[in-house]
Amino acid sequence: MSVRNKSFLLALVILLPVVAIWHLFSGTIDIDGDTFWTAVTNFDSDQLSHKVVWELRIPRMITALIAGAGLSIAGLLMQTLFNNPLAGPYVLGINSGASLFVALAIMAGIPVLSSDLGIVANALVGAFLFGLIIISFSSVVRQQISLLLIGLMLGSFTSAIVSVFQSASGLEELKIFTLWALGSLQSVTLEQLPILFAAFAATVLGGYLVVKPLNLLVLGASEAAMLGVRIKRVRFLIILITAVITGVVTAFCGPIAFVGLAVPNLIRIVMKTQNHGYLILGSLLTGAIFLLICDIAIQLLETKFALPINALTSLVGAPFVILLVLRRLR
Amino acid sequence: MITSKDLHIGYKQALVAVSDLHLEAGVYILIGKNGSGKSTFLKTLTGSIPTISGTISLHGTSIHSLSEPERPKKIAFVQTRFPVVDFLRVSEYLALGRSPHTAFFGKLTDHDKEMVQNALEALSIEHLTDRHTNELSDGERQMVAIARTFAQGTDIIALDEPTAFLDYQNKSEIVEKLMELGKTHGKFIVLSSHDIDQSIASGANFLIVDSKEKKLSHYPSGTSKEVIVEKAFN
Repeated sequence: MSVRNKSFLLALVILLPVVAIWHLFSGTIDIDGDTFWTAVTNFDSDQLSHKVVWELRIPRMITALIAGAGLSIAGLLMQTLFNNPLAGPYVLGINSGASLFVALAIMAGIPVLSSDLGIVANALVGAFLFGLIIISFSSVVRQQISLLLIGLMLGSFTSAIVSVFQSASGLEELKIFTLWALGSLQSVTLEQLPILFAAFAATVLGGYLVVKPLNLLVLGASEAAMLGVRIKRVRFLIILITAVITGVVTAFCGPIAFVGLAVPNLIRIVMKTQNHGYLILGSLLTGAIFLLICDIAIQLLETKFALPINALTSLVGAPFVILLVLRRLR
Repeated sequence: MITSKDLHIGYKQALVAVSDLHLEAGVYILIGKNGSGKSTFLKTLTGSIPTISGTISLHGTSIHSLSEPERPKKIAFVQTRFPVVDFLRVSEYLALGRSPHTAFFGKLTDHDKEMVQNALEALSIEHLTDRHTNELSDGERQMVAIARTFAQGTDIIALDEPTAFLDYQNKSEIVEKLMELGKTHGKFIVLSSHDIDQSIASGANFLIVDSKEKKLSHYPSGTSKEVIVEKAFN
């Protein structure tokens, strides 16, 4: 690894805990360092500030970190798999699959489905199913642009179906779903964190398991196959990893756009390498820092207006992607 | 030795019959009309598609019995178009050629690094080592792609029209280089080409797809242009 990339990664490793701690201390309720420390070391359930630390601050920080890091890794894997810098869980409709099945869970009125785990399971199934749909299209269409269009159409199609559900469902369900769809990092409870963490661990582990195939896939699927990559197996594994992290994050936080698209591209441009061992690490750290900063901004603005996380990531991400497209066309 | 027995090749149904081959190491230029089955032969030779019937073997082992991880240790393939990738240096691209031999995470051993270095020297492209692959000229790209197959260290190197997008001078350089490497390294180099004059001048052997009989056969170097044109294009 070049000295430049080493220093870059080192800077990220230092920056991440700084931003994470900053995130822990942002929010409308003022909590000083001492109170925070007592809450961690000597928890007292009667103290409001202690409850805020454990029930709001810590889960929200970890959620932002994991969602940002996980979606970025998922985006990186998909971009390499499809050999397309504009691929990502959101663009290719993996989120849409999760959304559709969450909509089913919340609004179809079947109680089993609408429990916490039920929603997660639904999001997982939806994400994986749509991943398989994209995979099957990818072997038929020749041009990568077609695949992106199909992904976008899947998105429109599902949102149309979701609208049908919405018009047919009760007020209470509609409210729950609408809030979910806006996206938020604050709905994860301490008890749910292990699910999120397990999905994240699986993503990082899975990502590093396919580092060698990923490094070859940048040459294109046919060349990778000629160099010994078992394409079908690797493809399935990557879609599975992407579905797990996208499904779980989407279930808890709602659809979060552009993180998975923008961060890996930024990392490739900055690190100027195709070694996925480093790209995964860079995307993980940058994705976490990016979403933490977005969420800090949301909390700073909270007193004036409530900005959904999905809106903020799109506000920042969409212009970046346009820049990216212009850069490639040049 | 590459040998074939009762070989019929094609997709789903037989497109071309192959007369039984007994090929010694060297350079073989594959000549035939468009759609006559040149690419099909290359894909069969590299084990990318199954045979319709019969076998093709390298040193007595059927190519199609090699496992997926084994095959790229014996057979390398060069596509007509070099993959255009950002941020990939020539040395890194050549190192990817070592991946059939490397362990799970693809870490290079000293031997791997030596193979990459030898490949750069064999193709006389040491000066390109640190260049990015997307900044190379078409001629340089083909040299780099061939160097990758040398780093890969395979017995068979199959090239699908490697000179298709090159100007005259680059074409000659590539063909001459392949001839030189074929003589000195004891490899089986099989390439398809549309340039008959240049192929004859190179002194390579021929594999010609007879357009009437739909049959691929081996012709030695020195076969006259009349015979080649008659067989392949009549």
